[in-house]
Amino acid sequence: MISYFFRRVGELIPVFFLISMIIFFILNAMPGDPLLYSRVENPRVIVQDPERIAKLREYYHLDDPLIVRYFFWLKSLFKGDLGYSSMYKLPVLKLIKSRLPNTLMLTVTAWLIGLIVAFPIGIYSAVKKYSFLDYFFTVLAFIGISLPTFWFALMAIIVFSVFLGWFPAAGVQTYGISGSWNIFVDKLKHLALPSLVLGLVQVAYWVRYIRTSLLEVLDQDYIRTAYSKGAPDKRVILRHALRNAMIPIITIIALDIPYFFGGALIVETIFSWPGMGRLMYEAVLASDYNLAINCLMFITIVTLLSNLLADFLYVLVDPRIRLGSKAV
Amino acid sequence: MIFATKKQIDHIEENTDIVPIGSYWQLVRRKFLSHKLAFFGLIVLTVIVLLVVVGPFLVRVAYDEMDFTALLVPPLSSGHILGTDELGRDVFARLLYGGRISLLVGVCSSLISTGIGLLVGLFSGYFGGIVDRLLMRFVDVMLSIPSFPVLLILTLVFGPGLFNTISVLAIFGWMGVARLVRSVVLSVRENDFIMAARVTGTKKIQILFRHIMPNVIPITIVSATLNLSYAILAESSLSYLGLGIQPPTPSWGNMLQKAMTYILSKGHASQTPWWLIFFPGFMIFLVVLSVNFLGDGLRDALDPRFVSES
Repeated sequence: MISYFFRRVGELIPVFFLISMIIFFILNAMPGDPLLYSRVENPRVIVQDPERIAKLREYYHLDDPLIVRYFFWLKSLFKGDLGYSSMYKLPVLKLIKSRLPNTLMLTVTAWLIGLIVAFPIGIYSAVKKYSFLDYFFTVLAFIGISLPTFWFALMAIIVFSVFLGWFPAAGVQTYGISGSWNIFVDKLKHLALPSLVLGLVQVAYWVRYIRTSLLEVLDQDYIRTAYSKGAPDKRVILRHALRNAMIPIITIIALDIPYFFGGALIVETIFSWPGMGRLMYEAVLASDYNLAINCLMFITIVTLLSNLLADFLYVLVDPRIRLGSKAV
Repeated sequence: MIFATKKQIDHIEENTDIVPIGSYWQLVRRKFLSHKLAFFGLIVLTVIVLLVVVGPFLVRVAYDEMDFTALLVPPLSSGHILGTDELGRDVFARLLYGGRISLLVGVCSSLISTGIGLLVGLFSGYFGGIVDRLLMRFVDVMLSIPSFPVLLILTLVFGPGLFNTISVLAIFGWMGVARLVRSVVLSVRENDFIMAARVTGTKKIQILFRHIMPNVIPITIVSATLNLSYAILAESSLSYLGLGIQPPTPSWGNMLQKAMTYILSKGHASQTPWWLIFFPGFMIFLVVLSVNFLGDGLRDALDPRFVSES
């Protein structure tokens, strides 16, 4: 296991370098000198003086060849120096740190909603396959996959906040509310629509996946054995079948973590939710290259880590995989 | 994956008791038409494509014709079947013209990306070795970059617009096809008829395109439909965010750009111009749903390895 861990992490390193290189080159393809700007935006630096700029260029190695600059950029990245945002005049790291909790709150809630809704439906569809409800859920899943997220979000706002007035349409909380219970309820109300939209979009994919992998297991001989020795249905499905079906399902659910960040981008923008996704969108609209690129870099790292997590979970959950001696 | 020719089938039918089943494409057609959802998708898609292509000639109002005497008119009122927007432009006319743009972007970018994926998959699978390893490693890397944020960044680099939207979507859509095609090529190239072609001295390029490619076409068509639905969704999202197709050219996505301002600016619920938000989004949804149904039916019909569940 430990050797597998190190091998997998070892494989990740070149991938990380390649991706960061691609992102760095994109950054350099931008008009102007975004790298210089990302430093100059520091409010303490006086920009107008050409001598100072020349010194800065030298200090940050901006006149060196691209590949050399890439390594300097990477070095400052590891030191946590992400430069400045031209829009906010603040360090990028500080901005990301202030927005990240909101995104985590939204995505984790959406993720949980997705799981809670997807599992019962997926299991039901597999166990009662070709029943009326199975067909119904199949069509519903197709509908979910085909819904544009932003339109789904807009329609949810129109129905639930404009016409019914149940939930607020935007923001994280209302100002001027006192009492910790009231604040909690208020935050929950603000969280409801965006997290439901984000979670339900994912449910459509997961239901299909859970159904397929459970169906595959239900065809196996040991399930027939379990039934024929008289084990109750519930026990066979939950203990014998689901446990084995979980292996691919867990992998897919871990692999989908980055999709939440992508989906959060649109959902956060529509619901004025001050998270990472909206930060990146604002950065793109304001041509704040440095901020946008660093947000992208952050999301990419999250993606790579969740790929890694998926691999480990796969090995942990499946006792049939014997590492080292045989191929994984 | 080896398909019998007409002659071979005739031979089998004459010499055995097997009930005649028809050629591969006859089978495909029969299977596809028995798939109810796919048939529904095909009909809806045909109607929408016809409307979008022919429609603008039939509607008398131009998509950019403003009428300041009829601002924000609700649907089903005189002269405007789906109402008008805040500049008095006919929503139905804009929907038809916007559909042209949305479908154009979707079809072009998915054709290009499927083409790239097909070529990469063919070469990678057939030649193997270092070429294969490098290409597949590159595919892995591209796949582990989250696509939608990257699309956003790329539109920042290239700038928005019709051509750039198509290229950006094409650049980020080919990896799945390449992987799939490669996996099929790997199994096809082990067949005896490839060996036969090689023994008779057929050129490598000819083997690749004449003997291997026909076998990967079915799976390529299926991935093309998947790409199409992704491209239409991505274009509409980009345009909604103001980074895709730019107004005044309408697309289904950018018709929704001002949706949030309508929702938030109107005081009373009954004054919300819901038709401006509902119809363009519903068209996107309908097209993507039909394409997904179509893709599902095609996969069942084209790929002999998938036995239809229904």
